[in-house]
Amino acid sequence: MTSYRTPGKFPTTVVGSYPKVPIAEKFIKMRKSGQINEEEFYEAIKPAIREVVEDQLEAGIDIVSDGEQARDDMVVYFAERIRGFGPGEWVRVFDNEYFKKPVVVGRIEWVGPITVGLWEYASSVSKERPVKATLTGPYTMLEWSFDLHYGDRKELLMDLAKVIRREVDELVRRGVKYIQIDEPALSTRPFKEEADMLREAMEVIFRGVEAKKIVHICYGRLERILPYILDYPVDQFDLEMKNSNFRLLSFLKDYGYDKELGYGVVDVHSLQVESVSEIMKAIEKLMKEGFIGPEKVYLDPDCGLKRLPREVAKAKLRNIAIAARIARERW
Amino acid sequence: MDTKKSLGENLRIWASPLGGFSRNRVLRRALRDYEKGLLGYGELEELITYSSLVIIGAQISAGMSYVVDGMLDWHDMFRPFVSVWRNVTPTSLLRYFDNNFFYRVPLFTDKPEAATYIWAPRVRKLARFAEPAGFKVVLPGPVTFVLMSKNESGLKQEELAESIAEILATEARLATEAGAALIQVDEPMLTDPEVNPDFAVLASELVSKITSAVGTSKTVLALYYGAPRPDVYEKLIDARVSCISVDVGDAPGMYTELLTSKGFGSHCAILGLVNSRTLYDEPLNALLELAIKILREYGGEEVGITTTTWLDLIPYDHSLVKVKTLDLVADRLASLLGSERLWGVVKP
Repeated sequence: MTSYRTPGKFPTTVVGSYPKVPIAEKFIKMRKSGQINEEEFYEAIKPAIREVVEDQLEAGIDIVSDGEQARDDMVVYFAERIRGFGPGEWVRVFDNEYFKKPVVVGRIEWVGPITVGLWEYASSVSKERPVKATLTGPYTMLEWSFDLHYGDRKELLMDLAKVIRREVDELVRRGVKYIQIDEPALSTRPFKEEADMLREAMEVIFRGVEAKKIVHICYGRLERILPYILDYPVDQFDLEMKNSNFRLLSFLKDYGYDKELGYGVVDVHSLQVESVSEIMKAIEKLMKEGFIGPEKVYLDPDCGLKRLPREVAKAKLRNIAIAARIARERW
Repeated sequence: MDTKKSLGENLRIWASPLGGFSRNRVLRRALRDYEKGLLGYGELEELITYSSLVIIGAQISAGMSYVVDGMLDWHDMFRPFVSVWRNVTPTSLLRYFDNNFFYRVPLFTDKPEAATYIWAPRVRKLARFAEPAGFKVVLPGPVTFVLMSKNESGLKQEELAESIAEILATEARLATEAGAALIQVDEPMLTDPEVNPDFAVLASELVSKITSAVGTSKTVLALYYGAPRPDVYEKLIDARVSCISVDVGDAPGMYTELLTSKGFGSHCAILGLVNSRTLYDEPLNALLELAIKILREYGGEEVGITTTTWLDLIPYDHSLVKVKTLDLVADRLASLLGSERLWGVVKP
């Protein structure tokens, strides 16, 4: 589908979200208040997607995303489009920011494409660069919702996994090359039992899938959960590194890490734009560890960029792309 | 049943929520308007006071012995303190334990100094409305404070924790003088399996320092978000506090084992039974059985029933329902054990 040739060494990418363009905020609100329907919303949101894809292209990113412009929240967006979830009530996320934490009120079922249409649109404006599809993982959906129906975490998790698998199948059918499952909740409970439970779900999601299979995890006790998840059926773990001062690297080496690595080299919670030389140092640090070659390293931010001002997000991406070009010469 | 009756006939059982509450719709909007400059601080403060009084009223009517004001204006556990201390500032967001909730990491750049104290004025304003219950004040534990902050102060972690404890001790003293009936120090980080016993020793010393400033008020060391390691817990029970509050509902197996072998020392037991992070109807019988199992080896005369953690992680309406559930659990437990159910502040 795409003729763009992704670099063989240090390809650059994003984790998924990008600062919301004002019209995206506007149309999310209009859809929620019933002023526009779902179909109108998907049409209305496209210019926002085009803008953020262009930002990523201008910054020089190889594998872009739709910036998750349609998503008010990574869990709520999916919950609103999966049967079995009921409307939530306001729960605080931080400071004076809230989200409507979804409530599971019935059997979880896929009723139609959740992300596919906008992924296709993003692909149509990405100038042939691949667009990564990002899906909120079943564990995070489970943990960040209230359950009033199942009463059994594993049963709910597996039903969520089946829904995500259905979405993955739709994406693959349309030619997706990179699929990322976001599981930020996993690092908050770094226990073997939890990791084992999610492994079964990952097998449901990824068994036989012909695309690059990625799991993104961030913030928390990653070093504690990693030993239990390294055998997940995925090609790549995309990990937050910069914020935790790259302390995971020695653990990865000790654990004999041999998959591809999404290497977070800029902090998404800091307004300070990391310089090219700072990013180069991060790459050098990784290369010095010696457990991974440049062909297996994807450079990206620690996490989604949605909380940053747009110009800061773009500047961070630009510096990642410049550093990647230098690194390709060097390694 | 006879065994249960003999276990409980000398027990007095009371209830109180562990900590803060969710904000109501009015307050959420008011805070947003205030941030946008559409509302003055005076008007905001008035709405915070009204909302706090509603929360206090709900607790009193549910028979709580100690009530909180809901800490409705706190953005996170550390923020009100960080906001009025010198040499520390709130910085980037970080996940708060295993919740989809983020706090701002305090950054210490020098030894902290209090420009003012936050609790005493609140207590003076609200404690009189808490009767017949006692007014409860909650402080972040100094070790949790340090472990969840960035330390660029040039002080060692222990020194920084000590300087925080000094300020918190003054907070506790002033709050007690203003009329607080209970001072609770929260040390949730001590349940982290990676925290070693040295931190527990430090926490025990520093919590004792804080509570020694409060005279005869009831004092509590609260542990939640899991069960501490046994070698950590046995150091924590050296703390000079009236009661130890444990989050048994979140880790029932671990706590049953821990408390059966280590007990509560000479402290009164507070059991975090009511789950404050789910919307399920509480499995009442299972909770009662758990409480009885833990109390079987308990020699104290007083038991508090509380929530597993603060009530600010669920929707507002549900946080009020949980208070009623606390009342129900305390009532049923007292009835099952033939114990006295206390209403209002606990007299020695």
